Formats: sequence, structure tokens, C-alpha cells
Amino acid sequence: MRIKVYGARGSVPAPGPEMNRYGGNTSCVELTLAGGEQIILDAGTGIRTLGLGITASPHVNILLTHLHLDHIQGLMFFPPCFRADADITIWGPASPEASLEDRVARYISAPLSPVEVRELPCDVSFRDTPPSEWQLGSATIRCEAVNHRGPTLGFRITDGDTTVCYIPDHEPALGTVLAETEPEWISGYDLAKDADLLIHDCQYVDDEYPFHVGWGHSAMTDALSFGSRVGARRLLLFHHDPLHADGFLDDLHAAARRRWGELGGDPAVVEMAMEGARSRSAPPPLRRASPRRHKYPPDLPDRSFSGTRAAPFDTRYKHVAEILDGGPGTWAASALNFPVRFG
Amino acid sequence: MPAQKPLELILARNLLTSISTPAFLVDQDASLVFYNEAAGALLGRSFEDVGRMSPEEWTSTYGPFDANGKPVDLDELPTTRAVRDGRPAHAAFTIRAANGTREIESSAFPIVASEEGSSGAMIFFWPQGGDGQEGG
Repeated sequence: MRIKVYGARGSVPAPGPEMNRYGGNTSCVELTLAGGEQIILDAGTGIRTLGLGITASPHVNILLTHLHLDHIQGLMFFPPCFRADADITIWGPASPEASLEDRVARYISAPLSPVEVRELPCDVSFRDTPPSEWQLGSATIRCEAVNHRGPTLGFRITDGDTTVCYIPDHEPALGTVLAETEPEWISGYDLAKDADLLIHDCQYVDDEYPFHVGWGHSAMTDALSFGSRVGARRLLLFHHDPLHADGFLDDLHAAARRRWGELGGDPAVVEMAMEGARSRSAPPPLRRASPRRHKYPPDLPDRSFSGTRAAPFDTRYKHVAEILDGGPGTWAASALNFPVRFG
Repeated sequence: MPAQKPLELILARNLLTSISTPAFLVDQDASLVFYNEAAGALLGRSFEDVGRMSPEEWTSTYGPFDANGKPVDLDELPTTRAVRDGRPAHAAFTIRAANGTREIESSAFPIVASEEGSSGAMIFFWPQGGDGQEGG
């Protein structure tokens, strides 16, 4: 399987000379399977460039993780959409609210767009992702809901003996501490387990995260902790914040490699997604992270934002026992005075 | 290793971890898969000490019992009703904690994420009679 990144930016396109190396286009990754078939992961603005390179009569499968604008904005500018010989299947999360086509059409319709979905000359179909595995070409695809705002999927794509996991928007540490959480309670764990390549959200550095808790994205330490817990062989940090210029991302990369080493892994397996970068998913003969990585709970350094962590059990709840002896009513009334905490 | 929980149960557990109202989380089989520290304080044992329990196990451990001291039938528990019927349920009863019995009210809310039915329920506990509600 070959992988090429066409857009690694999160939230909104971020063009500009200070973004040239990592790129300013939003999420889009091309997978070329061993049999030559093509799968496109998300349709951020990077898909426009990808489409320009498609010359033969195309049959394209696009897997959408969710319908936030940075993951669909490029659809309207995807050249095969305007070719009558193109056959495009768009897969995305189901919703009880409306069909996938109707939800995408909210963007590809007036007043946001000069064209409507029904006017596209290509043969386009919209499919809800199935709850069980399915085949696209030689690949087996599996998806699961993951923790982000709104219905959002992660994808696990296996082609031959190679597995790529793509979770570009993910906040698995929301309300929990990954290093101390059992695998069955970690969002996306099964999906990413033992992947040869994990493409994962790393929108924030740790110092930024406290200002964005609940926004659906990961801090660097959490992205690495997740990658370590699932045993990813290679980790591609993705969905760069639009404020993060090239130099900042270089520093983030260096910090991420150091931290991965602290987790017991080989720092060289941590990469930053960069527009135009190509990779083969079959990893080089790198050593996997040491068994210590799987120690439960692992020896993790404290996060720089550990101030949000919960207080110890006995100090947090000793007054619950006191209230229990106080009679009806006092418990609930006092509970209102508890501070809201995020673990 | 146990199968990974559905996202909605993961998020529910994270929520329960962060609140001070004693609460249980059960899965689609009504097995107890988590309770928070406030519930642990109420029961006198942390979830880490007891772990996952089937409905039969947790009812034999904690009860509950009705006003006459008789065990409440499993099918009549708010938890069972919420998971089975996909509807909220409420009741008042007595539970057995490590340091004695407690008179409580229990409100169970089903967690429904797909048309396939509920994937579990959250159950919150309150002291009996706090606001004049009757058990049911």
C-alpha cells in the first residue's frame, strides 16, 4: 500500500509562505492499494490537487470520517466530479437526521455553491458506512465511531498484511487519562490496535490543550499516548492547527520524538504529516516500542496540563459519607456545591 | 481482553467519572461495567475493588430490597427496565452497603445510539425523600 498526503491541516486551510513545507490544505490522504485501486481518505481542500492528477477514466472511493467543512470542502473542486466518465462513491457516517447525500448537499448547494449535487456530470453515489467490515478492491475496511464532536468515524484499512488506521479528528483523552485507562474504555483502541501506520490527530501542543478541551482534538502527549497504547508501528501526526507554522511544527516534531522515546519507542517512527509526502505503509525494519510500553499503567511523565486531573479519592468524596449521615435532602443540596472536574 | 465498549458507553463513563452524583453504568446485558467514586463512597467499596458484575452478581451484593425487606425482582429494577424498554425508570428502595443499609431512590436512563436498541444505561442514586418524590 502506498500513501500520499494531499492535505494535513486541520480546521481551515492555512496558506502562506510560513506554511509551505507542511502545507495549508485540509485533510486528504490517498491510499493506493497493492492491486492499484485508489482510496481517498477525506475530501478537504487537498483533494483538489489529488484530482488534478487523475487522468484515466476514474473509479474513486472517498471515505469521509465526518462532515465538518475541513473534511469535505474540496469535494466541489475535485476535478473528477465534473467528468462524465467518472464513477465516484462517497462513504460516510450514517445519521438519523438525514441521508449522507442530503447532508453533503447542504454544502454543495445554494447559497454556498454555484452547483448542486444533481448537476454534477459524474456518476456519484453516497453510501452509509456499514457496521461490519467491507471490501474495496483488495482492501478490507472497518470503521468505528470515535470521540469527536458530532458523528465521526475512524477507518482501519487492511491490504494484504498491511494495516493503516486513519483517525484524523479524535480526542480519546477527554474525561480520562489514557495512561491509566483500560483498553476497552479507550475510544478507537480496537480500530488502531497494532496498525502498521497510525495517522492520528495531533492538533495541539500540550500547553494549548487546556483551552480546547472538548473540541474533539488531541494534544501531542495524548496522541502519543494513544499511539503507544495501541502499539502502532509508525505514527503520522496529522491535522495540524492552522496557527502552527513550519518552524513550530518542526519543534513539535522534535518534542514528539523525544516523548515517544520516553514511552519506550523508537523516536524515528514518529513523523509529521506533510503535504506531498509519500510513504509505503510497510514499515522499515525498525524496532517496535519495548514491552515496557504495554505496562499497565505505563510509566508516563505527567502532562504539563495535569492541573485538570482529578483529586485523590479520599479528599474528593469524604464529605459524601458525612452527608449520608445528615438525612434526606442534604446530600443533593450539597452536591450542587461540588466543583466540576475533568479527569 | 474484554471487547471494546461502544463509544457512547465510553463517553458515559467519562461523564460519570467527572460528576459527584453516585452513578452506575451498565451495558446492554445490564451487567455493571462501572460505577463512579461517589457511588463507591456510598457503597463503601470502589469499582476497582469489585470489577464488572453480572446483574445477578450485583443484585446479590447490593440488593436492592423493598420496604418490607424483600429483594426487588431483577425484572422490576429501573436498570433492567431502562435497558429492556429503552425508557427511563425510577424507583425507591434499600441497598446494602459495606457499612450498613441505605434508603435511596434510583433513576435509570437508557443510552440509545442506534436503531438496534439501547447499549446500556446510566443509573443515578439519590437519598430517599429529598424532594418529596414517591418511589415507584
